Amino acid sequence: MFPTPLAKTSRTWQISYQVLLPFALIVWLLPLIAVANFSIKPEADFVNGNYWGLPSSFEAFSNYGKVFFESNMPRYLINSLFITIPTVIGAVALSCMAGFALGVYKFKSNLPIFFIFIAGNFVPFQILMVPVRDLTVSMNLYDTKTGLVLFHIAFQTGFCTLFMRNFIRALPFPLIEAARVEGISEWRIFLFVVLPLMKPALAALAVLIFTFIWNDYFWAVVLTQGPDAQPVTAGITEFNSQFRAAYHLMSAGSIVAALPPVVMFFLMQKHFIAGLTLGAVK
Amino acid sequence: MHSILKTSLAALVAAGVTASSVAADGHSLSGELNIISDMSNPAPRAVMEGMAADFDALHPELEVNLTIVDREAWKTQIRNALGANPPDVVNWYAANRMRPYVDAGLFADISDLWAEPAFDALASTKGAMTLDGAQWGVPYTYYQWGVYYRKDIFDQYGLSEPTNWEEEMANCQVLLDNGVKCYTIGTKFLWTAGGWFDYINSRTNGYDFHVSLASGEVEWTDPRVRETFANWRQLIDMGAFIDDHQTYSWQEALPFMVNGEAASYLMGNFAVAAMRDGGLTDEQLDFYQFPVINPDVDFAEDAPTDTFHIPSGAQNMDAAKEFLRFVTSADVQTEINSGSGLGQLPVNANASIDDDKFLAEGFDMLSNNAGGGIMQFFDRDFDAEMASVGMEGLQEFMVFPDNLDDILMRLEETRQRIYN
Repeated sequence: MFPTPLAKTSRTWQISYQVLLPFALIVWLLPLIAVANFSIKPEADFVNGNYWGLPSSFEAFSNYGKVFFESNMPRYLINSLFITIPTVIGAVALSCMAGFALGVYKFKSNLPIFFIFIAGNFVPFQILMVPVRDLTVSMNLYDTKTGLVLFHIAFQTGFCTLFMRNFIRALPFPLIEAARVEGISEWRIFLFVVLPLMKPALAALAVLIFTFIWNDYFWAVVLTQGPDAQPVTAGITEFNSQFRAAYHLMSAGSIVAALPPVVMFFLMQKHFIAGLTLGAVK
Repeated sequence: MHSILKTSLAALVAAGVTASSVAADGHSLSGELNIISDMSNPAPRAVMEGMAADFDALHPELEVNLTIVDREAWKTQIRNALGANPPDVVNWYAANRMRPYVDAGLFADISDLWAEPAFDALASTKGAMTLDGAQWGVPYTYYQWGVYYRKDIFDQYGLSEPTNWEEEMANCQVLLDNGVKCYTIGTKFLWTAGGWFDYINSRTNGYDFHVSLASGEVEWTDPRVRETFANWRQLIDMGAFIDDHQTYSWQEALPFMVNGEAASYLMGNFAVAAMRDGGLTDEQLDFYQFPVINPDVDFAEDAPTDTFHIPSGAQNMDAAKEFLRFVTSADVQTEINSGSGLGQLPVNANASIDDDKFLAEGFDMLSNNAGGGIMQFFDRDFDAEMASVGMEGLQEFMVFPDNLDDILMRLEETRQRIYN
């Protein structure tokens, strides 16, 4: 079932493992290495067919300079922040409250409502494309950051509520009962008893949702257009001019766009992994 | 740039030679002029903003409102924009691309503008702006297609620019014997094959036949179409094109030419900038017009044209027409197509062009040596659906020429479904 720990295997296998590992790693990372390499190449290298070789001249400063100072990239990055942060706050706040209600109170439709939240996660989001687009158009939210934020909150809340409800279920219930005996109102129990206990779950969920939303491309393309509302994932295509694709600028732009989630991951690594496994083991 | 344009315009208005003098003498324009433009890439955007500002400055009573829409997005938005609360001027494309909006009555008939003497200078594209015997828009820029070749490689093997099909094939054989492919091409995104079809078909059967085929009046299984493919096949059977071209985009096919593995490229003039970026000098790079195949037909050239139109629901028709006169005048076209602007060709034959040998050759070719007519390129001349099925067929033909019967049957079925 589990792989045998490496230390217990034969010497030959240990050596071949150590040889194979860096090789597999490089193959695995090849696309990323290519993008990083492209982002410091001059445009001429693409016309000459020098895709994989070393850059013929080092153009990192000029490429990244163009990304930051001669394109709409900063605008797109700000849009991404204005879309991602409200979504994280909205989805996490709503799902805490919904999770609290579903996890603590016993009422008849508790389970059905919970199932509805879960069922939402099983809907492939692509099939919602046309109705959601029509909805945002008729609500005058098409091509606005608000429209994107509202949709993301609505769609992420399903997963978040599942996560929060299960976490709250696992909290020691006597704590809540003790608070009730003291005559504390339910609202204050949520705020001062349950919420502090949920900090690890909040952090984990926030990091997870931040990455999800920051990396969203599909809805950004469906619901927004142009630098007024589009996030950075969709904005990168701006480096395609009418006739030519500027691979070097697109690569530099991609790296800039990928940095915030990566930084977030390293800063919050502990919470990120907790988020993926929380509730996996009772 | 704006100030230069303004000065030159002021001078012209003073001299009374611009077309706008007609209206300037009569009555001044007032109210609002709403323009929606798709010139959203950085350089075209600056050009459009400059034009709107200059036109605004010329007509103090008139308020010019410019909205710039993403070029790709505009392709789907235009129908909405023309239907509900239409602006006064919009951007679009020539030829069959106008068809849906002309048929729906959304574009205004501007044949009266084209009847003015000043419009004689735009004669090269009049055919492309004409549908059902009337004109529906005006051109502001185009660019030539043709064969860009490595002059140094041609010199090395003692070759000269071919003028007919036999010379073209003889040149090609010499190159192949020396291990150099004749043509680079990347057909991954299909359209590049459309250029080859446009040229071989119009050189074999003439512009009129090409247009009939594009408008669905001729069967794809017609023997004349087969003749086009037979001519094309001569090159394919020689191995004239680079191998595995179906895996490259047009840009990814450039290295073959830059590195000398292929000698020429049938492409639009926008390829020149890329080749220069790749290190080719103007001594190494040259251009020739696609050679004659059938001496009985005149040259027809691909020159995709970008245009301005007036929606039929425009509120300020006078100002809109005046703007169209403005953008087609020789001086405005000179200015907007210069290297600091669009870097393409002005359509007005009286306009002048930048000192660039490719632009000069292209301008001369389109103004003086395209007697057959100006084609707008496969995907603009043919109905959109026909074009997409068609270009798939062309790519398949280039890779598996033996499938021709199958391909033509498929295209013919599509033609019957679309045009009947």
